[in-house]
Amino acid sequence: MSETDKYYIERCLDGHPDDFRHLVRRYQGVLLANLAGKLGSKDRAEEAAQETLVRAYFNMNKLKKPDSFFSWLLGIADHVAKEQQRKEQIQLRREAIRSFSEETQSAELSQDFALEAAIAKLPESYRKIILLRYYGQHSCNTIAEQLDMPLGTVTKTLSRAYAMLRDSLQQQEQQEVYEV
Amino acid sequence: MNCTECKELLVEYIEGFLDESHKQAVSEHLNSCRTCQAEIEQLTNLHDRLVNNGNNVSQNNLEDKIMDNIVREQNVRLKAADKAGSALKLRSIIMKSPMTKIAAAAVIIIAVLIGINPFGSTITFADVIEPILNAKTVILDLIVGSDESGPTMHEIVVDQRIRRTMSNIPTLVQILDLETGEMLVLENEGNTAFYADIKGGIQEGTQNYVKFLRQVIENVKEGHVEKIGEKVIDGQKVIGFVGRSPNEKVTIWADPKTAHPIRIELEIGQMYSIMKNLEFDTQVDPALVSMEVPDGYQLQDNSLDLTGANEEDFIETLRIWAEIIGDGVFPEYVDSQNVLKEVPTLVEKLKGMNISEEEGTQIGINFGRGMIFHQEINSQGTWHYAGEGVKFGDADTPIFWYQMEGSPTYRVIYGDLHVEDVTPENLPK
Repeated sequence: MSETDKYYIERCLDGHPDDFRHLVRRYQGVLLANLAGKLGSKDRAEEAAQETLVRAYFNMNKLKKPDSFFSWLLGIADHVAKEQQRKEQIQLRREAIRSFSEETQSAELSQDFALEAAIAKLPESYRKIILLRYYGQHSCNTIAEQLDMPLGTVTKTLSRAYAMLRDSLQQQEQQEVYEV
Repeated sequence: MNCTECKELLVEYIEGFLDESHKQAVSEHLNSCRTCQAEIEQLTNLHDRLVNNGNNVSQNNLEDKIMDNIVREQNVRLKAADKAGSALKLRSIIMKSPMTKIAAAAVIIIAVLIGINPFGSTITFADVIEPILNAKTVILDLIVGSDESGPTMHEIVVDQRIRRTMSNIPTLVQILDLETGEMLVLENEGNTAFYADIKGGIQEGTQNYVKFLRQVIENVKEGHVEKIGEKVIDGQKVIGFVGRSPNEKVTIWADPKTAHPIRIELEIGQMYSIMKNLEFDTQVDPALVSMEVPDGYQLQDNSLDLTGANEEDFIETLRIWAEIIGDGVFPEYVDSQNVLKEVPTLVEKLKGMNISEEEGTQIGINFGRGMIFHQEINSQGTWHYAGEGVKFGDADTPIFWYQMEGSPTYRVIYGDLHVEDVTPENLPK
């Protein structure tokens, strides 16, 4: 189970489509969290995550660097999310997030949806690491290997991402208070 | 350890990444510093939220759904591939042969003319309204013909530049500069590039096509066209508008709320095309529409001249079609859509002939070039094709006749490709 992305991609391209399963298992959580933050609900996120992975499967032969599968996948997910947003004319506003987290609890990905929304707004390099660490449950060593960066950079980026998330969540809460 | 140093290490402290000595230093500082205590409380809180959410989300399992979707999609694609067998064949042939790449490009260029200048003279409702819509970029998919499983052209229009790719030949990219009348063709399998001159007909026609598209959209917004009710396309409710004029019919299906066009169907003369997946003002990387040869591409000398196509060129197209593609017999149809379908056969036949690459390329170019004239007839006159099954060389049987706007007589082309001027009353039935 601890084979690299590259290994599974090559297996798929060599005619073992079922091995795509492993990649789905590895990244579905990450994609769900990322997409939920962008799209505002669990159902939309699930739909988009499925679409993303199906698209990835059928375009795997176009992936030039199998080592950067995750970045590529995130790129597809962002594209799918954009398409969906356009399609549904979702304007992801704070009000919307709040009404989701207050009224439609059952449709949320998690109890704490504001967090995913804040993650979705992080710059890509920070978002990637937060997603992999907590939603993909990867160790920092694995992340370092996967993103091809020194371990120190991963932990520093993680620290900075924490600070950004905290600020963004605080800002959001303050605004809510103000609006109430 | 001071506060700044401590704060920098807090996340690593929470995550347990720190070595013994650092850990201890942080602990000691925390014991004596309220500010940092507050800080770590916040961060621990955030950490717990992240871990909780992460656990929560990872309980969702999409694996089976996704694998099912893939199997289903694969079946759909296999069926479509069966249907579009020739398209796939085309792709593999083009990938293999360097010569045919250029020949194929030449033929595909005629697709550039979809929407060639019919608009100026006849669609007055479009003329009177100045385009208010000034989207800097327009992205759309264009299908020639009414067969939606047929090849799609993906178009990225940025000001005067268009980047165009064909779904059945993904290795070829055309970038058109409508200002200079130049086209850059990139073939990304062998990383070759070449320029083509598209001044004249193609340049004009394409320019009008972009302008026209804008006017059409404007008209939907303003409601200057007839409303034809609602239907559902791909699960989305759309409202239809239709605009008619002697030579064109335009049907636009748009989102009833935002007026965003979902699908545009164009009938121009005897040509039908569909535009869909329209996007406006999407951020486009300028490199995508650059006229510079990208790094790593080798510029080829074969430059393509597509200017000033005339009747003679069209006759050459007919000759190639009958003599080479049809083994001496004229085809069922002569139009743009069928030209695209015939490319694989032409390429196959050329390979079987004992000719040089240059000669083969030239034949490919000629085949496409004549169709530029055909498009002109289609938009600025009337035409009729009656050559199905006629033998090449049959001097008594008319196969194609046309009348340009303002001309009193018809030009009639016979099976041996000689041409006569004929008055309307003497026209073949």
